[in-house]
Amino acid sequence: MRVNRKWRIIVQSATLFGFLWLFLQTEYRGTDELAYPVSLLFRLDPLALLAAVFAPGASNLLLLWPALVLLGLTFVFGRFFCSWLCPLGAMFDFFGAPLRRLSTPFIGWPKAKYYLLAGLTLASLCGLQLFGLFDPLSIFLRSLTLAINPVWNLLANSAFNWFYQADLPLVSPTADFVYPFFRDRLLAFQQPVFLLSIFTAVVLLILILLERLQSRFWCRNLCPLGALLGICSRHSLLQRSPQTDCSDCQLCASHCRMGATADASVQAAECVRCLDCLDFCPNQRITFSFSKKDIRRFDLSRRTLLAASLGGAIMAPLAAAAPLTSSYRSDLIRPPGAVAEDEFLRRCIRCGECMKVCIGGALHPDLLRGGAFSLWSPVLVARLGYCELDCTLCGQVCPTGAIALLTVGEKRKTKIGLAVIDKDRCLPFARGEECLVCEEHCPTGKKAIVFDRRKVLVGSEPKELLQPRVLTELCIGCGICETRCPVSGASAIIIITEGESRASLRLL
Amino acid sequence: MLDRRQFIRQCLQSACAVGVAGAVPQLLLPPAVCAAQDAVLAVRRGEDIPRLVRETLAALGGMERFVRSGETVVVKPNIGWDRAVEMAANTHPLVVQTVVQLCLEAGAQKIQIFDRTCNDPRRCYVSSGIQSAVEQIDSKKVEIMHMDRRAYKELEITNGKALGRWSFYLPAIEADRLINLPIAKHHSISTLTLGMKNLMGVIGGNRGMLHRKIAESMADINTVIHSDLTLIDATRILVANGPQGGRLEDVEVRNTLIASPQIATADAYAATLFGFQPHQIETIVAGHQRGLGEIDLNRVTQL
Repeated sequence: MRVNRKWRIIVQSATLFGFLWLFLQTEYRGTDELAYPVSLLFRLDPLALLAAVFAPGASNLLLLWPALVLLGLTFVFGRFFCSWLCPLGAMFDFFGAPLRRLSTPFIGWPKAKYYLLAGLTLASLCGLQLFGLFDPLSIFLRSLTLAINPVWNLLANSAFNWFYQADLPLVSPTADFVYPFFRDRLLAFQQPVFLLSIFTAVVLLILILLERLQSRFWCRNLCPLGALLGICSRHSLLQRSPQTDCSDCQLCASHCRMGATADASVQAAECVRCLDCLDFCPNQRITFSFSKKDIRRFDLSRRTLLAASLGGAIMAPLAAAAPLTSSYRSDLIRPPGAVAEDEFLRRCIRCGECMKVCIGGALHPDLLRGGAFSLWSPVLVARLGYCELDCTLCGQVCPTGAIALLTVGEKRKTKIGLAVIDKDRCLPFARGEECLVCEEHCPTGKKAIVFDRRKVLVGSEPKELLQPRVLTELCIGCGICETRCPVSGASAIIIITEGESRASLRLL
Repeated sequence: MLDRRQFIRQCLQSACAVGVAGAVPQLLLPPAVCAAQDAVLAVRRGEDIPRLVRETLAALGGMERFVRSGETVVVKPNIGWDRAVEMAANTHPLVVQTVVQLCLEAGAQKIQIFDRTCNDPRRCYVSSGIQSAVEQIDSKKVEIMHMDRRAYKELEITNGKALGRWSFYLPAIEADRLINLPIAKHHSISTLTLGMKNLMGVIGGNRGMLHRKIAESMADINTVIHSDLTLIDATRILVANGPQGGRLEDVEVRNTLIASPQIATADAYAATLFGFQPHQIETIVAGHQRGLGEIDLNRVTQL
């Protein structure tokens, strides 16, 4: 293997495994505070920075300063991030290789990503933040969280279960011997299950399959982060020469993973500085040097750019024209510490870190609860998992401040909702049977669920029963009652948004 | 009344039945160590917890009476809640630590400590202080572990009144000895949670469903899981907002330990700490009726 390529692949793989390792550390490991900066990937992310800067409220540069470092480095080395560091790019390189056909006549729409970036930026400025849907780092991590990791756990656990039960000579003892290592290091504590996992996986799969059309299809045509880094890359110090294919040799045209040499005006922006061409050029003509090249005019269609920007700007009022979710439904439970809904949606970049770290498996990606543009933002689905009273992990991992970092003391007082009893299904009310699971589990020191001792008629027989009642001022909406309610299917006690701390309108 | 002839005949019949049905799982036959013992109870008070544990067990004849050399032991504390030690939601870590040490001294070959928690298991193990207390012992024979999801099995409850079958955690049943280390707490539905309720921590299934007939269900469970020794931690007890508490106002320091080979007997005495008579607590009565111990404290020998 050639020297440059070898080094790049080593760095690219090391980065990918580094981020995978951080991903595995995104879990409670015996201390209230996480030991590692697990959301580093997003703190490096200039799109996350843009989202946070455009959002109302103070933008927390303590969190996002690494993104500025990345931008700075891009002004020196060009768009190196895409080929050396980006984990999604690494996935494309890895999985795309067997899919690719080398001599592809497909040109694609390399300018589309700039229009997309313009539209997203304008939308974000005007109040509708959609970076998260297209951010490659978000796509990578939420696919990992919602689809790849659950499948990996399911497969590994089924295999270990099978060996455990089959009790084969030699094989089963070996499997049982390595199981603790897998369990403690590589597998989740509990099998992760998520809503939208299939949808998320399909999106990733499509992006990978697009490699068949051309290498790095996503990066060339759609990636808004690539577009942003590309714009910086045009002015970077490290530039390639020559800027286009040489007339006597068209090797770059077919070998360049980005097709960067096709158009001199965008070469500096499209080249991801992978340095592969240094190796494959038969004539040793290519140089990368820190010398300022003449920058040609960026050949974007002014009209399309304007249209994209306008489109983005119009999306915001369009989204705002829909009725507020909170005005007609009450199941939009956000993580504790989530800022007010409007600001929350403008900050959340849909990375899925909070869903990965949630100790109770309570946070799931939203589809429509928060409106048409709340896709993949976290909602708490209390029937599937509850919010652990003294856990503050989601606030610790959120890279943009959409979920504020709370102390345990603040967390205990943060209301994310309110429990209400469905008396048609709750056993003491509906069937005259005793059941007190919700009260037993209620974690507020002075319990927010209490019992009223009542004499009721069950049929014609008088019976003395304890019936639960929620104390609205004590309930914080953690949802453990909804999770643990023994009624099958939907719970007989549910969490609604009423009274959440972040809303301006508190309890009636 | 049986006469001798009937007795012999029935014995032979059951022996044949057992022999023929060779598939009957051995686990269902409780190890009959203390079943025939007299109703005995040891209660001790003191502030030095390790010493208190040793004194209480010495009164019963020492750990050697319950754990023999080379045996495997499961120690089952209450680690149910994500609460700090002083909140009296979980068994005191020093009680657990000392009992494990006593088992080691008695020659146990392997000691496992676990509980199926209500809050997140990892947080409970850490916050309760039990994980670090056990790890301090630093012996290869001692292991504090999370429940292994593979090891639950549904078993027949032969004499069940409320339950016909339920899922049980096999390591708790397969161990040679099971030592039950509950903490005495208030509990709104069963009034109190003591030894019998603590063994709900080694069963699977949807435990919430049991709360509808809690007394009989717990008695059913306890007929399958035989505990050789029950040591109730009443060094501090939770008198309100149980079973997980969370307020120091609800905690009373009692500096008391209660031990008995009979689970219902230990529970019966512990009930009096809260001002109840044993027969007022349905679970304890149900346990007595299933032969889990004498609950009339006048008939119990206090050692």
